[in-house]
Amino acid sequence: MSDTPEKIIEIKHLVKHFGKFKAVEDVNFDVFRGDIFGFLGPNGAGKSTTIRAMLSLIRPTSGELKLFGKDLLKNRSYILQRIGCIVEKPDFYKYLSAEKNIEIFARLSGVDVSKSKVHKIIEFVGLKGRERDKVNGFSHGMKQRLGIAQTLVHDPELIILDEPTTGLDPQGIIDIRNLILQLKNEHNKTVLLSSHILSEIELIATRLVIINKGKTIVQGSVSDLLNAQELVVSFTIDNIEKAKQIVQSSSLNITLESETSTNLLLHISQEKIPLLNKLFCDNGINVFSIEAKRKLEDYFLKLISA
Amino acid sequence: MMFWKSTYNEFIKIAAKPRSYIGIGVISVIVGIILYAMYKEGHGFIGAITWRMEQSLTLEGNILNGNLVAYIILQTLIIHVPLLIVLVTGDLVSGEGAMGTIRLLLTKPVSRTNILLSKYLAGCGYTFVMLVWLVFLSLVIGKLLFGTGDLIVLNDDVIVVLQQQELGWRFACAFSTAFLSLIMVATLSLTFSCFADNSIGPIVTTMAVIILFTILGALNVPALQKIQPYLFTNHMSAWRYFFEDPLPIGKIFNSIGILLIHIVGLLAIAVYKFKRKDILS
Amino acid sequence: MMRFKICLLVFFVWVFSISIEAQSNANVILHTVYAKLQKAKDYSVDANIKVDMPFIRILPINAKIYFKQKDKFKVESKSIAIVPRQGFDQASKMLADTNSFTAVIQGNEMIGPIKTTVVTIIPLSDTSDLVLGRLWIDLTQNIILKSQLTTKSSGSILTEYTYGSQASYGLPDKMIFSIDVKKFKIPKGVVSEAGNNSDAKKKDEKKGQIIIVLTNYQVNKGILDSVFNK
Repeated sequence: MSDTPEKIIEIKHLVKHFGKFKAVEDVNFDVFRGDIFGFLGPNGAGKSTTIRAMLSLIRPTSGELKLFGKDLLKNRSYILQRIGCIVEKPDFYKYLSAEKNIEIFARLSGVDVSKSKVHKIIEFVGLKGRERDKVNGFSHGMKQRLGIAQTLVHDPELIILDEPTTGLDPQGIIDIRNLILQLKNEHNKTVLLSSHILSEIELIATRLVIINKGKTIVQGSVSDLLNAQELVVSFTIDNIEKAKQIVQSSSLNITLESETSTNLLLHISQEKIPLLNKLFCDNGINVFSIEAKRKLEDYFLKLISA
Repeated sequence: MMFWKSTYNEFIKIAAKPRSYIGIGVISVIVGIILYAMYKEGHGFIGAITWRMEQSLTLEGNILNGNLVAYIILQTLIIHVPLLIVLVTGDLVSGEGAMGTIRLLLTKPVSRTNILLSKYLAGCGYTFVMLVWLVFLSLVIGKLLFGTGDLIVLNDDVIVVLQQQELGWRFACAFSTAFLSLIMVATLSLTFSCFADNSIGPIVTTMAVIILFTILGALNVPALQKIQPYLFTNHMSAWRYFFEDPLPIGKIFNSIGILLIHIVGLLAIAVYKFKRKDILS
Repeated sequence: MMRFKICLLVFFVWVFSISIEAQSNANVILHTVYAKLQKAKDYSVDANIKVDMPFIRILPINAKIYFKQKDKFKVESKSIAIVPRQGFDQASKMLADTNSFTAVIQGNEMIGPIKTTVVTIIPLSDTSDLVLGRLWIDLTQNIILKSQLTTKSSGSILTEYTYGSQASYGLPDKMIFSIDVKKFKIPKGVVSEAGNNSDAKKKDEKKGQIIIVLTNYQVNKGILDSVFNK
C-alpha cells in the first residue's frame, strides 16, 4: 500500500495570455490531499488568474490542469462538484435572503442539499437567525461567512479560498483560521489558501508555493522551506555595546542584522539561540525578551526581491 | 436534470428582482388608461373612423366591444412591451457580471451552455407571463367592460369585419406570433448581455437596434430595399396578418421564418460567446 | 284673331288639365301604394345581409329586423351589420307626407316581364333632405319594384325590390341597395399597416351593393315598444 498522498491539484506549465499581456507564464505546483496549501505572490503575480483557471472561469492559453487526477477541460463537471470556492470577495444576489442564496448555489452543486442542511451550515458559520434577511443588509464580515457557508454546503473535498480574511476584524481572522484547521483536522478537507497575511499562512499552511511575474519561484512544505533558513531573532537587552562585542567575539558565527538602543536583531539558527542567551547571562547582560521575527515574511520578501 | 434546476433558479431570481415588476406595472397602467379612454370616448373614436361611411351606411351591432379594444391594445406591442421585456432579459447575463455572482455561478458543475440556455428559457418564461398578463387585461377585462362582438379592423384602405366565432383562433395565432416577436427581442438583448458586464449597456443597445432597424425598414431608399425584407423589425408586426381576410399565408410563414432564423442565429452567437468568455470581473 | 285666341286658350286649358290629371293620377298611385304599406302595422323578419362594397370585407350575416308604425325600426344582430343609413322604409316614410312633394308620372318602363309606371317625386321645400325621388311601381299589385332616392345627407341610393309571399303587405323578400361610394375614405393615422390587400381595380369602383334577403315574416303579431328601446 502506497504512502504517497493523493495529488488533488496538479498544475504543469500553466500559461495564460490576455492579448499581449502575459498574466501567467509558467506556473507549476502540486497540492496533496489533506494539505492546507498556501498560494503566495505579490500583487499581479498571477495568483487570481491561476485560481480562475483552476475553476474554469478562464481558459488557459496552454498547460496542464489536473484536479482529482482528471483533466479539467474534459471532466469539468466531475471536478467542480468536488470543489467549494470563494474567488476574491463573495458576491451574492442582494435581493435574495441568505437562505435563498445558499439554496440557489447548492442546487447547482450536483448533490442534493436539503433545507435543513442549509440551515445547519448557516448556523455553523455564525449567521443563525439571519437566514431570512436579505443579503443587501449584510456587513462584509457576514458576507464572508456566508461565502464560507456556500463553499461548504455540498461537502466538497477541495476548498479554494482566495483572500478569505480580507476586511475581517481580528476575531474574524481567528475564526477563519480555526475553521480551516477544523476542516483539515476533523473533516480531512484539502484547502488551497491564497492570502497576503503571511503570518496566517505561516501558522496554518502545511505546504506552499510562491509565484512572481507569472512564474513559480519555489514550492514545498512550509517547515522544510522555512527551517532551511536562518532565523532573524530580536534580543531585548540592557547593554547593547557589550552584547555586540560578545556576539562578534563568540565562535557561534552569528551576524548582526541591525540594532536599536534596546534591541539587537541577529541572524541566528534556532539551535544557537539558547547558547547565545547563556553567553549574555554569563556576561552579566540582562535579556528581557527573545522574539523570532516572521520567517515567512522575510523569506517571501527575499525571494521576491531576488 | 441540472438544466431544469438551473432554470428553476433563474425563475426564482427573475421573480425576486424588483425590476421584473416594472414591466407588469407599466402594462397594467397603459392598458388601464386605454380601457378607461375607450370606455369614456370609445364611441367618438369609432365615429371618427366611420363618419364618412355613415353618410350612406349605418353600422349596427356592438362595434365597441372587447375584441376591438383588445386589438387596439395589441398595438402597444409595437414599441412598449418589447422595451419592457428587455429590462429583464438584457440583464440576465450582464447583471450577474455586475453583481459579481457570475464568478460563483460558473464554478458550479453545470455547463455554461446549460446555464445560458436556462437563463434564456427563464427569460422566455418571463416574456410569456407578460404576454399572458396583456392578454388577460385586454381580452378578459376588455370583454367584461365592453362585451363581445365582431371585430372591425382597419387595413390600409379596406375595412375588414371579422365575425366573432372566428376571432378565437385569430387572436390565439396573433398572440402566438406576437410572442415570437417578443422572443426575438429577448434573444437579441440576451446576446448583447453576453458581451457586457453591466446591465444598462445591453438594454440601451437593444433599444437602439430596434429603433434603428425600424427607421431603416421604413425608409423609401432603393439601396435599402434589398435588406428591408430581412430586417426583423419589419416582421415584428406579423401578428396583424391574422386579422386580414383572406389570410396572407405566404407572408405569415415568411415572417415567422425570418424571426426564427434571427432567434436561432442570435442564440448561437450568445452560446459561443458565453462559452468562451473569460470571467475577469 | 278672336278664333285664334280661343283656340290658344282651349289648348292651354287642355294641357293644364292633362298635367293636373297626371299629377292627380300620380298622387292616386302613391296613395294606393302607401295604403298597402300601412296594412302592416308591425312586423319582424329574419334578414340575411350581404355587403358587396369595394372597401369593405364582411361575411354575410344574419339579423332580425323589427318594424312598427309609424317609424320604429330596429336591426338586431349578434354580428356587426352594415345597412343603408336610410333604413329599409325610406320610400314609405317619404310617401307618408303627400303635402311635402309633387309627384309626376314619367311614363312606363319594363322591369323584367313586368310593366311599371315611373313616378318622379319632387320635394316642395328647399330645406327637405330629399332632393329627388323616382319610383317604379307595379300597378297590378301596387308595389314598388324599384326606387331611386337622392338625398342631401346620403347621396343617391337605388333600391330594387323582389316580392314573394308578403306582396299583399308590400313587404319584399329581397332588396338590393346600390350605393355611391366614391366619397368614402378611410382616414389615415388610425389604420394598421399589416398589409395592403386592396385590389387596385376596386379603388376605382364607385358603386357598392347591400343585398338583403328577408324570410319568415311575422306580420301584425304585435311588437312591444320596449323592443325598440334596447
